[in-house]
Amino acid sequence: MSEFINENPDILDESLLPSRLEDKNDAIWDKNLNVGNLQRRLHLLNIHQTTDCKVYRNIELVDKLLSQRTASNNLHTPDLTDAETEESEYEEAEDPIDAQEIYDMIAHISDPEHPLTLGQLAVVNLSDIEVREKCDKTKISEVVVKITPTITHCSLATLIGLGIRVRLERSLPSRYRINILLKEGSHQSENQVNKQLNDKERVAAACENDQLLGVVSKMLSTCK
Amino acid sequence: MPIELLKSLRLHKDKLWSLDCSKGLMATASSDRKIKLVNLQNLDFKLVEELDDSTHKKSVRSVSFRPNSSILAAGSFDSTISIWGKDDSDPLDNPETDLLAIIEGHENEVKGVAWSHSGEFLASCSRDKSVWIWEADELGEEYECLSVLQEHSQDVKHVVWHPNMNLLASSSYDDTIRLWKEDADDWECAAVLNGHEGTVWCSDFEKSEASLRLVSCSDDATVRVWKYVEEGEDGEDIWTLDAILPNIHSRAVYSVNWSSHGYIASAGSDGILAVYKEVEQGNWEVVAQQNEAHSVFEVNMVKWTRVGDKDLILTGGDDGFANVWCFTP
Repeated sequence: MSEFINENPDILDESLLPSRLEDKNDAIWDKNLNVGNLQRRLHLLNIHQTTDCKVYRNIELVDKLLSQRTASNNLHTPDLTDAETEESEYEEAEDPIDAQEIYDMIAHISDPEHPLTLGQLAVVNLSDIEVREKCDKTKISEVVVKITPTITHCSLATLIGLGIRVRLERSLPSRYRINILLKEGSHQSENQVNKQLNDKERVAAACENDQLLGVVSKMLSTCK
Repeated sequence: MPIELLKSLRLHKDKLWSLDCSKGLMATASSDRKIKLVNLQNLDFKLVEELDDSTHKKSVRSVSFRPNSSILAAGSFDSTISIWGKDDSDPLDNPETDLLAIIEGHENEVKGVAWSHSGEFLASCSRDKSVWIWEADELGEEYECLSVLQEHSQDVKHVVWHPNMNLLASSSYDDTIRLWKEDADDWECAAVLNGHEGTVWCSDFEKSEASLRLVSCSDDATVRVWKYVEEGEDGEDIWTLDAILPNIHSRAVYSVNWSSHGYIASAGSDGILAVYKEVEQGNWEVVAQQNEAHSVFEVNMVKWTRVGDKDLILTGGDDGFANVWCFTP
């Protein structure tokens, strides 16, 4: 982009961003490869190959899994039976999702005009994420993410919101209704942007626009 | 419980947006770009045909059968409308449906299509903020645009015709509903219904000849009934809010449908399918409520139909399923 909409945004240092001390993802992605972890990865691989799982759409994750496969080739793991697969998925579904987990999914999204992430720019903040979780997994739960554009007339607010929505729709189980709102007073066309970001039909149509989807994919390519 | 699930049909790989039925056939439209036909006669529920899925390049958003015929119109996010037909002599369980026409004109996503009661007119609406009225020939192959109505200030989400008059209702992202009628050679806006506090997703006319009413549903999570009062002095029709239906929904309501027996059904983002009955003029009660009608998924469409001696409610959801419910009052 030749002209920045906000030339000098405030930037947070990556190390100061909120994170879980012991991220549960470490069990999967942790550098200390041990037999247990590798087995776990292989299980995941098998799940991905045998089911049309939603996470499968996350190409990046699949790529990582595939790259781990070479490392784990010399380990013998019996094929999972259907029953075991279901069990593994069941276990995964048991993990409740909290605000930190949502934050981790979206904080690494790149800003469309700066070489920085939404977390670093404080566009997404842990305190502005709310999860209204129903204990019963057969019921609908809600996630509310309030975003703070770096400037109140940011014309990219809709694009940023769309990126967050696409990321969450791809990552969260179907039972979550995702509400993306601009933080009160953070934008001059707050209601207009909110309406657009939460219109499922417009979002669905946007996701069929190749050009727009290309931009969103680029924003999401920095997600961990 | 007066609602009972008869059949759950896994039809599409992505959102099922819309469905319609005519002459014992149900058509469904989906984000997976496919249109499928299911035989409802004898409660058979067999998938009988899948229409050529290379026709539309994007989601198929809306389907509508021409009354008393097998001609189907389908509106797509690719900005075109496809028209399909089969020989009425084809057996229902093995139809051979052909593409009859592709209608172009809208600038971008077509969001709704609907046939008038006589089958003479086809209406379509789009994100381009316009409603188009097309005149169709008897075979359904030729279409002439009679009018382009541009009074909505935002996307037009849905169009529906009155069951026995040439009166059209359009619902919009501008939070209003507009009613359109024929005036000499052209079509004009007969009334604007203001009141919803969010996108109006869908509306439907009462099927009675005795009174003229419309039900609408919105992103504001309400379902409202509007009543025609009289023709105003300036030629505009006067409509008034007749009732707000009991507050069942907690999120956007995407679809409403008025049955020929006077029941209203609604469904939406909260996964609830509700049926309301008017116990006295303007006073409605919920007579049936089905939570998680499509498990944890959103419900995009609800439609009444009658097969044999059964009143059925058809619903379509983001899970790609069409569910068939039996309603016993």
